[in-house]
Amino acid sequence: MYVRALPTTDVNRNTEWFTYPGVWTTYILILFFSWLLVLSVFHCSPGIAWTIVHLAHFTVTYHSFHWKKGTPFGDDQGIYNRLTWWEQIDNGKQLTRNRKFLTVVPVVLYLIASHTTDYQHPMLFLNTLAVFVMVVAKFPHMHKVRIFGINGDQ
Amino acid sequence: MITIPYLTAVSTYFSYGLLFAFGQLRDYSRLLFDWWRTNNLQGYAPICLAHEDFYIRRLYHRIQDCFGRPISSAPDAWVDVVERVSNDNNKTLKRTTKTSRCLNLGSYNYLGFGSFDEYCTPRVIESLKKFSASTCSSRVDAGTTSVHAELEECVAKYVGQPAAIVCGMGYATNSAIIPVLIGKGGLIISDSLNHTSIVNGARGSGATIRVFQHNTPSHLEKVLKEQIAEGQPRTHRPWKKIIVVVEGIYSMEGEICHLPEIVSICKKYKAYVYLDEAHSIGAIGKTGRGVCELLGVDTADIDIMMGTFTKSFGSCGGYIAGSKDLIQYLKHHCPAHLYATSISTPSAQQIISAIQVILGEDGSNRGAQKLARIRENSNFFRAELQKMGFEVLGDNDSPVMPIMLYNPAKIPAFSRECLRENLAVVVVGFPATPLLLARARICISASHSREDLIKALQVISKAGDLTGIKYFPAAPKKQDEEKYGIKLD
Repeated sequence: MYVRALPTTDVNRNTEWFTYPGVWTTYILILFFSWLLVLSVFHCSPGIAWTIVHLAHFTVTYHSFHWKKGTPFGDDQGIYNRLTWWEQIDNGKQLTRNRKFLTVVPVVLYLIASHTTDYQHPMLFLNTLAVFVMVVAKFPHMHKVRIFGINGDQ
Repeated sequence: MITIPYLTAVSTYFSYGLLFAFGQLRDYSRLLFDWWRTNNLQGYAPICLAHEDFYIRRLYHRIQDCFGRPISSAPDAWVDVVERVSNDNNKTLKRTTKTSRCLNLGSYNYLGFGSFDEYCTPRVIESLKKFSASTCSSRVDAGTTSVHAELEECVAKYVGQPAAIVCGMGYATNSAIIPVLIGKGGLIISDSLNHTSIVNGARGSGATIRVFQHNTPSHLEKVLKEQIAEGQPRTHRPWKKIIVVVEGIYSMEGEICHLPEIVSICKKYKAYVYLDEAHSIGAIGKTGRGVCELLGVDTADIDIMMGTFTKSFGSCGGYIAGSKDLIQYLKHHCPAHLYATSISTPSAQQIISAIQVILGEDGSNRGAQKLARIRENSNFFRAELQKMGFEVLGDNDSPVMPIMLYNPAKIPAFSRECLRENLAVVVVGFPATPLLLARARICISASHSREDLIKALQVISKAGDLTGIKYFPAAPKKQDEEKYGIKLD
């Protein structure tokens, strides 16, 4: 019932919250409840609901992890202004547990979405495109890489 | 070590997610809305980069009435809080002429010097008449009076070091002194929960900064070993100097530093120790000499002792105490000493008089009484809060006690409910604290009487029931009712 929160050594308040207990569970619960919400609002089949959840997840996480740079507060004097959230997390160390978890979640969502839609056409294409972009963006080699200067600094 | 109920952690993340999502939606609709309006500032760069002010605009402004409340009397045990009204949902607040008399649990008034004192205030007024409010000059030009010289001697004797230097502002003491002590090629190892002034000073110095887990001497040793073995980044040359920065009492946790272990580790690896006693000087220890006295550490082992006069002495400014050579060097090189206006003379006199009261040199034992009272008050308050089931952080004897709130909605709820019952508390949230760990920070003073504290406990208990922050089971109440004769729910 109770968990112990050990203080971390991450000084970046923007990413430090991800190291406390309960984050992974909250993430998975949000996905599950949004699937239920989509099902109840749109009255569609479960497969279409998972596809919608997968694509919405792609939009939201791509925007907040890989597009927005810097921190939402000014206390750190802008030292992270060139880094996206994904590049800030865990102080830039690659292949930590948090990063591996965040890479696995879109892939699992993709598998669920394509299985429940029976691999039918328009959904399969969109889902595959989404998961491809998501996973490539999280590769260690893509750390601080800006393809064709997209989202680069002025 | 903080113990959180798992469901509370999950619901807190969810609440923040919802708040951030709504903030984003509002930002997007504002963007769409502004598309039509023509911008008459074409060609100018925006004041805030990207989303630097997102948190302030979308989360902080919503509950702005809980922060920055103006007061209109001295910060004594009871204080007049000015009421404010807002016509646009807390985006702007206007002061009214009404004030409410509230019990003050937010000021750092540990020994009660924050208001009229029968020994200090007449001497301060005399010094104001003699020397005037400001020295109008920096220390090296014309800003050193006899009071300043007396103050530095007095502080050095009080703290137990050979010499001291005093600066006009506590924050500036840290941020101006650390760059003078260490530069590029040096290493600063600081506790992960150090105050912003230390972080600013460290970043401004140009030295490499490494952080160790809060108050964990074993992790400090691990970091020291690693860093000494690796040397400077890229060149791997040995470090020019290593300074370990810790605080006496951490202001957000109320925890006392594990000083003896840290000092022994620093001696072993030949690193310098910088101790920031902003909250602990004058508040803990038998004669109020801070964490060294409390934990039995010899002051000669600590290389640089820093402290502020804003908390226990009822004044302003900060000091650095150390060996004579160190202070001589600082007097020649520190910009806060050479260029900043010196501390105003009446404030310096207040500090000298306060130290005299604490040490009993004014001929009475009020100092010893104050120190005993603050210790009793803190221990009583903390024990009662823990019995009621609140999660209270901090060690015994520490006058700072944060009560954990966690959920973002409980921050304004607790604060407003307490204000309605005439209790002024300070609540803190992200980014001053980690995202999950929002808290209400209570500072006990020696000028709080037992009745004040009991009233505060009743109000906090009621507010706690309403907001649901009694995360631990309450202790059985039978013996409390008999002891105090009142009902504490």
